Amino acid sequence: MRRAKPLQIRDEALPLRVTLMVNDGPPAPTDVEVVARVLGGDGEAFGILIRRYEPGLLRFATRMLGNPDAAADAVAESLVRAYRHLAQCRDPARLRSWLYRITGNRCRSHLARRRTNDISLSEAPPLADASDSWAVLERGEQVALVERALNALPAEKREAFVLKHVEGMSYEEMAAVTGARIPTLKMRVHRAREALLAALEELV
Amino acid sequence: MMAMSPIDPRLQEALDGERDPGTLPMDLREAYARLMGAANLLQTLPAVSVAARVMAEIHDLKPEVQSVRPARRLMRWLARPRAVTLRLRPAWTLALVAGLAAILLIPTQPTNRPSPGAHEGIAQFVGHFPGARSVEVVGSFNDWSRGSLHLRDEHHDGIWHGAAVLPAGPHEYMFIVDGERWVPDPLAGRYVDDGFGAGRENSLLIVRPAQASLDEDATPR
Repeated sequence: MRRAKPLQIRDEALPLRVTLMVNDGPPAPTDVEVVARVLGGDGEAFGILIRRYEPGLLRFATRMLGNPDAAADAVAESLVRAYRHLAQCRDPARLRSWLYRITGNRCRSHLARRRTNDISLSEAPPLADASDSWAVLERGEQVALVERALNALPAEKREAFVLKHVEGMSYEEMAAVTGARIPTLKMRVHRAREALLAALEELV
Repeated sequence: MMAMSPIDPRLQEALDGERDPGTLPMDLREAYARLMGAANLLQTLPAVSVAARVMAEIHDLKPEVQSVRPARRLMRWLARPRAVTLRLRPAWTLALVAGLAAILLIPTQPTNRPSPGAHEGIAQFVGHFPGARSVEVVGSFNDWSRGSLHLRDEHHDGIWHGAAVLPAGPHEYMFIVDGERWVPDPLAGRYVDDGFGAGRENSLLIVRPAQASLDEDATPR
């Protein structure tokens, strides 16, 4: 189908025209550029990094700690720590991994303080009636069931599963975040899947 | 605790993106769908934000690298006892290991040393970085700020060295080679976790008070 032409622009110029119209503003600065701005004295630029990575970090910490309030504390502390030590980020192009690493450490410290790797089930949302089938459960109830199954995993397996299947990381990036070797991470993910599948079958 | 049994390797492969899930038998396809469905449920983003809290908290903070303004850095440079270069005499005809060992064992010149206070000691830094254009040391003693402790390769043999008067006690540090490559000191002997996970470690030196051992320098070993 022939598309309407704006003004005198010829057809072959149309894609360029469309691109210009879509990309209205300047391109978003890269992590490397933002880090350079922050280290150069523009502290407000750190807000760009917060907006960019906060949602994923909060989700990661929430899945790790099973408690939104504790997760918010862990992420806030991690971001402040990241800001203070930004000069120690040796590869700003991989800032995301660095931030997840700091947050993961914070979560581990938090879990260690609890003296157990298991999330208290009292913190988990109430379960739906076990007689209900998966299909008839409301989405919120499904989430609660999956969270409960996830929280029953040991912290290392929970972390591996979340990084892989919730945060969508490659094994290489997971290795950068956790410091564990890739074969170890694969094993943790495999074991987590097995445990999670068994738990879901038992819960539902 | 629920019973856990190994799941079919084909399912693991599909979940790792190494196999088309459409090729799985029906029972494995159901398990695949259940796990991926669970993962999708967990991908819900939290509705909270800590952005305002973090920005308020860092408002009065500065990243370490900018914690020292140029004027203040100059004042600190003028006030701080400076590192002194010690003439080491590595036998250049020997192999590298022997050379480094010699560097560590050759007594240092007692002259031109800074005068450490009662609770200070001299830390010597030596590293072998052939071809490097610059080597500097950052650490807990200079707030990890660059530009205050540069090593020198006076003999152009790739052996960079320098010294500084530091407060007695433990100090974490790293070398920065060519302004961008962070390298732990291979001769440090002691290392501590850098606090950011991933198993990375900072080098550790323990500076002994000069008065406690008059002729012994505190070296990062």
